[in-house]
Amino acid sequence: MIEIERIAKMNKSGNFKMKIKKIISSINNVKQLKAGIILLALIILLAIFAPLIATHDPFELNDDMVSPPSNNYILGTDGLGRDIFSGILYGARTSILIGVVAASISGIMGTLIGGISGFYGGKIDAVLSEVINVFLMMPTFFLILIIVALFGSSMFNVMVVIGITTWTGNARLMRAEALSLKQRTFVKSLETIGESKFKILLKHIIPNGIFPIIANTTMNVSDAILTESALSFLGLGDPNVMSWGQIVYNGKSYLTNGWWISTFSGIAIVLTVLAFYLIGDGMNNILSPKLNSNN
Amino acid sequence: MKLLSIKNESVVYRSKTKNVLAVNNVSFDIDKQDSVGIVGESGSGKSTLALALLKLLPKNADVTGEVLFEDKDLLKLSTDEFNDLRWKEISIVFQKSMNSLSPIHRIGSQMADIYTIHDGSADSDEVKGKIINLLEMVNLPTRVYTMYPHELSGGMMQRVSIALSLMHNPKLIIMDEATTALDVITQGQILNEIAELEKKLKIARIMISHDMSVVANTCRKIAVMYAGYLVEFGLVEDVILNPKHPYTKGLLKSFPPLKGEKGELRSIPGYLPDLSIPHEGCIFKDRCPQKENICLYTAPKTHIVENGRKVMCNFAGGDC
Amino acid sequence: MARYLRKRVLTGILVILVSLIINFSLIHLAPGNPINLLAGKDNPSQEMIDTLTKKYGLDKPIYVQFIHYIKTLLKGDLGYSIMSNEPVGKLILEKVGPTLLLALTSIILALVIGTALGILAARKRGSKFDIVMNGLSYLFDSTPNFWLGLMLILIFASKLKVFPTAGMVDLRTQSEGIAKVIDILWHLVLPLTTVTLIQIPYYFRIARSSVIQTMSEDFITTFRAAGMKENRIFNKYVFKNAILPTVTVFGINLAYVISGVAIIEIVFAWPGMGRLMMTAISKRDYPLLMGIYLLLSVSIAVCMIVVDVVYAIIDPRIRYD
Repeated sequence: MIEIERIAKMNKSGNFKMKIKKIISSINNVKQLKAGIILLALIILLAIFAPLIATHDPFELNDDMVSPPSNNYILGTDGLGRDIFSGILYGARTSILIGVVAASISGIMGTLIGGISGFYGGKIDAVLSEVINVFLMMPTFFLILIIVALFGSSMFNVMVVIGITTWTGNARLMRAEALSLKQRTFVKSLETIGESKFKILLKHIIPNGIFPIIANTTMNVSDAILTESALSFLGLGDPNVMSWGQIVYNGKSYLTNGWWISTFSGIAIVLTVLAFYLIGDGMNNILSPKLNSNN
Repeated sequence: MKLLSIKNESVVYRSKTKNVLAVNNVSFDIDKQDSVGIVGESGSGKSTLALALLKLLPKNADVTGEVLFEDKDLLKLSTDEFNDLRWKEISIVFQKSMNSLSPIHRIGSQMADIYTIHDGSADSDEVKGKIINLLEMVNLPTRVYTMYPHELSGGMMQRVSIALSLMHNPKLIIMDEATTALDVITQGQILNEIAELEKKLKIARIMISHDMSVVANTCRKIAVMYAGYLVEFGLVEDVILNPKHPYTKGLLKSFPPLKGEKGELRSIPGYLPDLSIPHEGCIFKDRCPQKENICLYTAPKTHIVENGRKVMCNFAGGDC
Repeated sequence: MARYLRKRVLTGILVILVSLIINFSLIHLAPGNPINLLAGKDNPSQEMIDTLTKKYGLDKPIYVQFIHYIKTLLKGDLGYSIMSNEPVGKLILEKVGPTLLLALTSIILALVIGTALGILAARKRGSKFDIVMNGLSYLFDSTPNFWLGLMLILIFASKLKVFPTAGMVDLRTQSEGIAKVIDILWHLVLPLTTVTLIQIPYYFRIARSSVIQTMSEDFITTFRAAGMKENRIFNKYVFKNAILPTVTVFGINLAYVISGVAIIEIVFAWPGMGRLMMTAISKRDYPLLMGIYLLLSVSIAVCMIVVDVVYAIIDPRIRYD
């Protein structure tokens, strides 16, 4: 391999290894990150083992309707006799799945668009930046509502729609990273020896600038989960899967005599969103420790 | 009477995980209208030493020793007493001047604001007049008064910082790498202007720089610092023509001479030691070309040679 | 300054244009026949088909339809609601008031309270206050707004019976004048609290990190070295510098607030535009939907331009670019 390419490869993997080491050593120092990871691990375990832990089939209509938490129904039942506890366990799968997929779509789109915009510069940058600005100004939630209303509310649709409307944050981050990495000597040397710009973008620019995007994407998962639950609450979620937002909606009419329906499902949302948020925020603290209140 | 007498100043940065000894038992004196250059590599403690004088270090810095300014111990003054002294007797010019004033307020109004800290009685026209005077003194046009920091060049902002420091005609100005961020030509101009102002206003100066040539050209005395220690101190011509400490010798060798034979440019191999770990013997032992066994175990004392010359080496007194 | 303004207005116009295109394309891209969508039926009568085709020019090529669409808009005609057959514009105007009341009040409250708390937390960095506030901000940031609203209703309206459970006015008493105002305000408390609480963490975090960032800037050291009192440094210099990100963020927040308000209107049966939109969605009333979306985009674009102008006034560095 050409010497310069070898150096660039070393640079990238060296950076990467250093970064991973830094991450592991920082995790213990950043309380948020620790708490978030523990919380998330718990939730994921519950989601994975839902079939084993759940006491009932979440869709089964038992005879005891709107019954309070008891030995039989740990968190009570809803208006149609469905066990809330089991519902919440299965709902975890929906929320996490949609959240992660949607955030990943948004992350990939944002990284590519931002990277191209920042690295290629010039007219491409001007146009793409304008696109980013335009998207920022749009009331994306309503756009999501309209699109879901028009195109159907399957889980797939929801994931894709959330993904393609929330990429702007990641785009801006990646663009900033690309702009600063563009000036680095190893990048300039690669350009000089004739490596194609797109290859440089994919092999060197993006991997070196990806860390803040990962932190941001983690927080995007939180947003995606909140958005999805709002959609379900409004009746625009996938009716075939168990969803926390929908359980909250189911509990709305029984607020006075069946408070447990909406309450526990909502708490589940809060905890899951909080977990991802703590992790993302913790990652950001590693990047800029000045803002950590633990200092 | 000495203007400033630093006796055994030490600065420790404390944190949960470690304590870093940034300045270690430094002592030297400055006379009225004197000019002392403090040189050393990054991390030698030269900035910390100076910032400690004006109590500008972060809260976790522990400063010990005695710093006598005209017989008043600065370290023992109360906050109010010290605030009175600040800027009126001692002022400072920083390195990165572009951000030394708020970017969203006009330069003139900020300078006036600083002025009224120590002279609240003057009315606004008087104050404006004084500020314009200061600007003229540093060769800046009057319109700078209404401009914003980002509209000026680096050199101009540096001049603004200098004007600020001269505001109340202090007895001592500290210049912390004040010209490092400038291009060579501007640096030369500003150094000349500073020399003239000092003669006119009778000001003493502490000049902190890693650039030996700047110090050699503009200061009367020089203090060489390494890893928080003062390793050599004396008159500029003495130290530069006849360096006694191995570190000083190494520093001088790493600056190419403009005239004379083309010699080898040598840097000093190695790195600064970790200042959070206590060490045995001489602090410079790992990088010293003249190290002997005694240096590993015996911390060198500061020997006072002729002419107020100080050297911290196990072999001083003779030649290293 | 003029150049900066021009650029922002151009972006705003671009946004509106994009919204128009999105509006327009969605009707044509969605599964199903545009005529069925516009008629609201699966089997519209021939007469209906003819009227709609003529009205929307559906038999003409796409770009002609688009131009026709823009022309109609410029005349102020937003189409007719399928549900009620009334002009979309009229329906929207009827419902704008309550939404504005809720939205504007909450934005101002959240901005002021959130920023104040953020500044305080930054000044007392590391203190118990700071830690608690940070924890609370994480918590409220993770809370879905509709759930918070329901919980507030549960606690304060249902159990404690302090506030009414829903609506904007008490339909039974039919009060007038001052009594009516008080009635509205009383009904406003819970929905307002919900929307405000959801926004506060956003402003809190921005203000806090901005103040911390500003306090570590070089010019703060200059003022301290000169002997300036901490309070003056803070009130005059830190404050104005630190407030800049808040102004920027305010514009971006607008888009989010509107969606939050809409959902809360559903939860509290608040008779505003959000509710109108939700009904439109459930009844697939596309002309109404499109009209609302368009109006929203335009308002947000205008607000953002105003925010940018305010920012330029505060920060002289932008003006002279």
